[in-house]
Amino acid sequence: MEMLLMGACLSIFGLAVMCMAFGAATREPEEQKAIPGAEREAVKAAAATRFFIEPAPPALPLAARSRVPIEALLLQIENHVRLEHAAAECFLESPNAALLHSRTISPLVN
Amino acid sequence: MLNTDLLQGLDTAEADRVLGLGKTMTVESGGVLFRLGDRADTLYLIARGRIQLTLPIQVRNREENVTVEEQSTGHTVGWSALTPPYRFTLTATAQLQSEVVALDRQALGAYFAANPETGRAVSLNLAEVIGRRLQVFQAMWVREVQRMVESRCA
Repeated sequence: MEMLLMGACLSIFGLAVMCMAFGAATREPEEQKAIPGAEREAVKAAAATRFFIEPAPPALPLAARSRVPIEALLLQIENHVRLEHAAAECFLESPNAALLHSRTISPLVN
Repeated sequence: MLNTDLLQGLDTAEADRVLGLGKTMTVESGGVLFRLGDRADTLYLIARGRIQLTLPIQVRNREENVTVEEQSTGHTVGWSALTPPYRFTLTATAQLQSEVVALDRQALGAYFAANPETGRAVSLNLAEVIGRRLQVFQAMWVREVQRMVESRCA
């Protein structure tokens, strides 16, 4: 009888753990819920169209960008300025239109 | 003798005489040398260390100082002291403990009036420093405008 009760308890506990794991796996993250549907679709569409073309991640919508911690954003801005400074110096070494408008790898504008 | 962009072309004795007009100062890491908008009466030659130049940018309704340039040993900061309206247009902060030679505008002006050849050489060096800065920032500005045009026309 005791063995039967113990088995029943373990089964119920196992079932509860499985339910929690399933719930956690299928639940949308909180921050994702905060993004309006249209913007989320735009990100998905951008990701889908670029998947086989270029590995760069899609540009984040405004709502997603606003979640980036301000310290990280400031680092991105300063990194962007450094990259642009270097690009400008490079242009001045050998002035031509191609160098002036060379692409940047700065995540701030990509 | 301090090898600095502002004193290029001067012989050692003359460069030392110009440096002798200044006062050596130590700025601790994080110490502010001058602030945007301050009256600019002093030019600084970096003898040791690193100075970051920042401008305020509004980020999420907060004003943040963002580094736009960094200068190290041998370079000059604060040339607003030599050009009207004699107000600093950036904030200068020591990134690490730094040593600078502070040159007063009035003292420099008087020395250059008495030694016009030195004044001419220093003015040409200053023009080179300012010209280079202008060209760099002009190119940076054009690149930003280009990106804005591309995003508008996309």
